[in-house]
Amino acid sequence: MKTAGVNRSAFLLVEMMVSVVIFSVICMGLLMGMISLQRNFVATTDFATNHADAIRISDYLALDLRRALTVQAAQNNTTITVPSYYDTNGVPRTPTLDGSGGVYYGSSSSSVSVHYYLLGGTIYRQEGTSPTVAIADNVRDFIFDVTDSGKVVTTRITFTSIFTRAGASAADLGLPGTSSATAVYNTTLLRNTRSDIVSGVY
Amino acid sequence: MKNPSRSAADGGALLWTTCIMAILSLFATEVLRAVSGRFQLGMQVAKWQESLIAAESGIDLAIVELRKSLYPTPNGAWDGWTNSPGAGVISHGLTTIPNAGLAGTPMTIEVDVDAPAQLIDPVNGWQYYRVRTLGWVPLTGPPRIGYNKQDNHLRKLTLRVQRYIDDLFTSETSAPHAARRLEAIVAPVSSFGQAILSMGTLDLNNQNIVVDSYDSRDPTKSTNGLYDVAKRQENGDIATDGNLIQAGNAHVYGDVETNSGTATGVANVTGVQRTDFYQAPIPIAAPSWPSINPTPSVVNGTVTLNASATQGAPSSRYVLNGITTSGNQTLTLAGNADGSPSYIEIYVNGDVSVAGNSQIVLGNGVRATIYFSGNVDIGGRGMLNPNDQPSDLLLYGIQPTDSSPRHVSLGGNGQITAAVYAPDFDVTINGGGTTGHVFGSVVGKTTSMTGVTNLHYDEALAATGLINNYRIVSWIEDTR
Repeated sequence: MKTAGVNRSAFLLVEMMVSVVIFSVICMGLLMGMISLQRNFVATTDFATNHADAIRISDYLALDLRRALTVQAAQNNTTITVPSYYDTNGVPRTPTLDGSGGVYYGSSSSSVSVHYYLLGGTIYRQEGTSPTVAIADNVRDFIFDVTDSGKVVTTRITFTSIFTRAGASAADLGLPGTSSATAVYNTTLLRNTRSDIVSGVY
Repeated sequence: MKNPSRSAADGGALLWTTCIMAILSLFATEVLRAVSGRFQLGMQVAKWQESLIAAESGIDLAIVELRKSLYPTPNGAWDGWTNSPGAGVISHGLTTIPNAGLAGTPMTIEVDVDAPAQLIDPVNGWQYYRVRTLGWVPLTGPPRIGYNKQDNHLRKLTLRVQRYIDDLFTSETSAPHAARRLEAIVAPVSSFGQAILSMGTLDLNNQNIVVDSYDSRDPTKSTNGLYDVAKRQENGDIATDGNLIQAGNAHVYGDVETNSGTATGVANVTGVQRTDFYQAPIPIAAPSWPSINPTPSVVNGTVTLNASATQGAPSSRYVLNGITTSGNQTLTLAGNADGSPSYIEIYVNGDVSVAGNSQIVLGNGVRATIYFSGNVDIGGRGMLNPNDQPSDLLLYGIQPTDSSPRHVSLGGNGQITAAVYAPDFDVTINGGGTTGHVFGSVVGKTTSMTGVTNLHYDEALAATGLINNYRIVSWIEDTR
């Protein structure tokens, strides 16, 4: 039996091919845009996280440098000694005059060593004999430099950014040892008279 | 008539729009979450840093009050605080400073100042003060901890419950805030902290002058408590609150310090040259002793005044209308026959003139303090200080009550061994005997040295005399 004729309209093959190509291009563009956005987001998040780590490390160092008595500066390995302010119960001591116009806490010439170092992708801080504390994790690409100028000490913390682009310089990429955009600087005035150097300025 | 195909198209567009909006919302939510957390971290870090500024300001506030206490009364020191700090007494101050920045949050500064007995210097009785401060700033935004526990470990913010440490401070609440606590030990500073200090011009132009130092307390820096050129020290600092030092190529074994000024003729300076110097010239008030030795009331000729083995004894406190000696007259400040320590205090409310061949002579073991309000002209054979210790003869110029100029002129043929603090007097040193040696320290409104070749600053003077200032000798942050 002959079926009743239906007026069906359809795209031509050429129209279909053109539309598929256009759709593919748009999808590719969207996909690439999404990937780019995602990479950018990850990189930005990584940068922000690293920057927060750098600020934290810088603040830790400044905290101890302000009260420092001695400083032994080396890249990724710095030791600062601070007054022995707390007794064994963690209660602040009353200081004693040293007979030379200064004071000391605890016993004469006693102090507490604070050691900062990078090991296995983690930056640690150890105060005296207390347990070592990780102050920044996943920071294998970090470098902290401490420049000892006597009465003031400058810290510089850099990390490797994962932002990349063609022709980017080492500085742009934040590679360690460069004057990079990732560097966090902090110059700290040491409040106490240092016992490891003689400074006639202050 | 309903068009099914048109309705389907509308539904598809709505669906697409909803999906796209959902996806964009997801993106926005994630971005907002990430950004708000970072923003909050940034604000918390800033507040934490600001609270340190607040705490350090507390130390400054305490030092301001301590410095006020050095001025003649009424000086307003410790007004608004609970007490004046003393043995077993804590002075407590609380200040809130409005803050236009950081969401308009104020900073609160709480300060405790006390004077522990173990911080009294047994050598000179000077009290060191302990200043403990709390600075805190409210945190704005929701009381959320940071992403990273390491940030929380460092900054120790109070978010919902106050972190109890001790009972020292009371202003902290459980409201979200960042707080820092500091402790500083503040030490007195002597009026004689430099070899030469001038409020105005300091002039060493006249001769080939040498300024150096020694320490009469330290056998490695002196010999038998006396200056030894072989043990010369380089703390013979010269300084001015003004802006001009004319060093005249003097050999200065120490620093040269001006107040944003210039120093000329500094080729022979061994120390550093600073331009950031200023030390407030604390004025000296006339002594108000409750009881004195009433005779004599004036010295005009050969006179003997007796010191006492007890410091501050009324019998060894004299108020004189003037001192005038000439010819071969001698003013003797007599001590104990065995040379044991004795003390005498003299307030001269007129002029001091030692002329001709006359002399002021200290007895053995006598430690004399002379206050003067008039002009001082020491010539003749000058002042004999038998033990050659500058700290045995301290001269203080009283702040004039009028604007007429005052001067101090130290000369004569004898060696000068004394410390002079006269920030309202023009001081000229033009003596020192045939060898031109002056031992001690000089503070003047203007200061000039003429005809003198050597000024040796005894570093022991930095631990004696009147307290002129306070400085921080220890600083520590309480990180509990």
